[in-house]
Amino acid sequence: MARPEEHTTRSRDRVGTPWAGEGAGPRAPRPAAYPGRVRARLTGRSAVEHGLRALCLAAALAPLLMLLVVTATLLVSALPAIRFSGLDFFTGRVFSFGNLYGGTPTVHHGVAAPHNASYGAAPLIVGTLLTSVIALVVAVPIAVGGALVLVERIPRRLQGGLSIFLELLAGIPSVVFGLWALLVLGPLLAQHVYPTLARLGVLVPFLRGPVGNGQGLLTASLMLAVMIVPIVAATTRDLLRTVPVLHKEAALALGMTRFEAVRVVTLPFVRNGIAAAAILGWARALGETMAVLMVSGNALNIFPYNLYAPTTTIAATIAAMLDSALTDATGMGVSALAEAGLALLTITLLTNWIGRQIARRTAGVPLPVGRGF
Amino acid sequence: MKINVLARPAALAALGAFAVAACGGGSGTNGPSARSSTPRPVAVTTGNPSRPVTLEEAGSTLLLPYLQKMVDPLKADYPNITLAPSGGGSGKGISDAIAGTVQLGGSDAYLSDAQAQQNPDLLNVPIAISAQAIDYNLPGIDNLRLSGSVLADIYMGKVTKWNDPAIARLNPDLHDLPAQTIVPVRRVDSSGDTFIFTSLLSATSSAWRNGPGFGTTVTWPAVPGELTASGNPGMVQVCKQTPGCVAYIGVSVENTALQEGLGEVLLQNRAGNFVKPTQQTITAAVNARAATIPGDLRASLIDAPGAQSYPIVNYEYLMVKSRQSDPQVALALRTFLTWAIDPSRGASSANLGAVDFVALPSTVVPRVKAAIARISG
Repeated sequence: MARPEEHTTRSRDRVGTPWAGEGAGPRAPRPAAYPGRVRARLTGRSAVEHGLRALCLAAALAPLLMLLVVTATLLVSALPAIRFSGLDFFTGRVFSFGNLYGGTPTVHHGVAAPHNASYGAAPLIVGTLLTSVIALVVAVPIAVGGALVLVERIPRRLQGGLSIFLELLAGIPSVVFGLWALLVLGPLLAQHVYPTLARLGVLVPFLRGPVGNGQGLLTASLMLAVMIVPIVAATTRDLLRTVPVLHKEAALALGMTRFEAVRVVTLPFVRNGIAAAAILGWARALGETMAVLMVSGNALNIFPYNLYAPTTTIAATIAAMLDSALTDATGMGVSALAEAGLALLTITLLTNWIGRQIARRTAGVPLPVGRGF
Repeated sequence: MKINVLARPAALAALGAFAVAACGGGSGTNGPSARSSTPRPVAVTTGNPSRPVTLEEAGSTLLLPYLQKMVDPLKADYPNITLAPSGGGSGKGISDAIAGTVQLGGSDAYLSDAQAQQNPDLLNVPIAISAQAIDYNLPGIDNLRLSGSVLADIYMGKVTKWNDPAIARLNPDLHDLPAQTIVPVRRVDSSGDTFIFTSLLSATSSAWRNGPGFGTTVTWPAVPGELTASGNPGMVQVCKQTPGCVAYIGVSVENTALQEGLGEVLLQNRAGNFVKPTQQTITAAVNARAATIPGDLRASLIDAPGAQSYPIVNYEYLMVKSRQSDPQVALALRTFLTWAIDPSRGASSANLGAVDFVALPSTVVPRVKAAIARISG
């Protein structure tokens, strides 16, 4: 509203009328040495314009710069660990800072680390991918189904109220989810659900074996699923609202059932966006730290032997071990965690990129969400 | 400015103090309150700084409640000294003290050799003694006895049932040990408690020493059904929920653990006796090791000799730089630390009792004061 008003004030100013207008009261009118438009380009407006341009450029470059700075910083601090471990970082199964209080230093590739130190992150990487993928597989159908019901089936006047719960769920701090999963979800599943699942292990090998005490891969994944459902559902809900009513009505007019209309018209229209929403959720699951730390069982050196086995993720390990790493006089502990952080960053970027490629492949109708990159 | 004992320059005092520490032997026999009558007095210049000084502390969460108790009484005695303790973990305490972002770094663990060499001016100042209880959840079974090596076997998954012969051998009086699975609980966060617990396992089991070793986090062997918890209160919470569990818990929350119905293990000491962590058994452990405490005060109290010694005992340290850039801060640090180990001031039985710490024994106090005297600016 303010902009056109300001504009008129300027234009009055430009023609050099004695009355400067309300907005420009204290400013003395400049002598009109040039015709109005040229003067405006050369003086006042161009300065503002340049400022705005610089600001916008900085804002546009900021994310790129931040990513570069973070990556560079991580890379520099990770360099000793990268040289020490080499490819063992990806294949090694033991992540240990070694004996910080004595023993002869372990030397690899000319880099010295504490006695018996070993920075094999394979179990962490596997744990990170497994927990997040299982969470995604569980969460996406629930989220999309929920969003469909919310938009397509529920009367409009109830939609707002129910949507609030979705937003509230998304706003719960992750550590609260962690606490809930640790105290309620984990024990509940371990006592009442996992034993039944384990009986199905006759058919599915990964379901077999000891069910543990509720800390482990499946509990962490299910908790992550609960955390990412609101993210995916809220985005999907907003997408579904962009589906043109005429298309849907046309489908119904052709005699389709509501299910057919959703399947043939609505879902293809937003498929691309749903994939993008799923990537958002995936990124959240990959990076989730505290909550996973609380229920994963924190197993640094084993691959999960079944769906209930303790595991850990890169993010949780960084949080759990940073304090110990700080007491490592060789500095290798922090370096190894930086390398783990770099790996997590790479995994996140890769999954993001792959997800976008998939989204682009399956894209039917171009949409504002999920494109770009 | 109030000057204790002698108004000597701090540097000279530090030199003399160092000599006392280096000589070794049980030179001091009196408590800190009687410092003016110790045979070889350690001169520590203390007093209220001429301007307000804030002493920032970060580190051990076990130490934090104890320090928080000191803030107000310290201010009452020395209006210009403000103690600002915060948590963050022992590792953070040490690294922040090295970086100089805090004046005091709280730690349950002493500096490693490598760290001490890298930071020769960082003093390890013990201000209290803490210990660790081993708790279990087996309703109806009291006075369970365990040893460090059996605990190592439990945490390595070699002993998995409560009626395992290894446990039964230690408990000839308990005939009804259940065939229940043992659920070992361990800390997921970096912790001084993990440090002292794994120190005991390393001291008593060669398999543990050559395997996971000891540290504030270790790479734990995978034990089916094991559980993790965050913080000492978390350990109590998880163990309370899990029949068959065994957990290591700092004495400052042991009262809570016992109220929640957990049992306290009688732990076998080096002499072969089974003891619980009490004022008496903890002090016995400290006294048994007091004669051999090195001049830099970096000392383990784990698995100490002596018939009554409790095996998992540790000094609670504050890491302080001996060379301070500001004389007033140095004065405030000396004053606070001297005050903190004084049984009539900071180390009062009320303060210590609130977190179940034990005061530094009189055999150690002169050495600690010698270290405090080295702080100069």
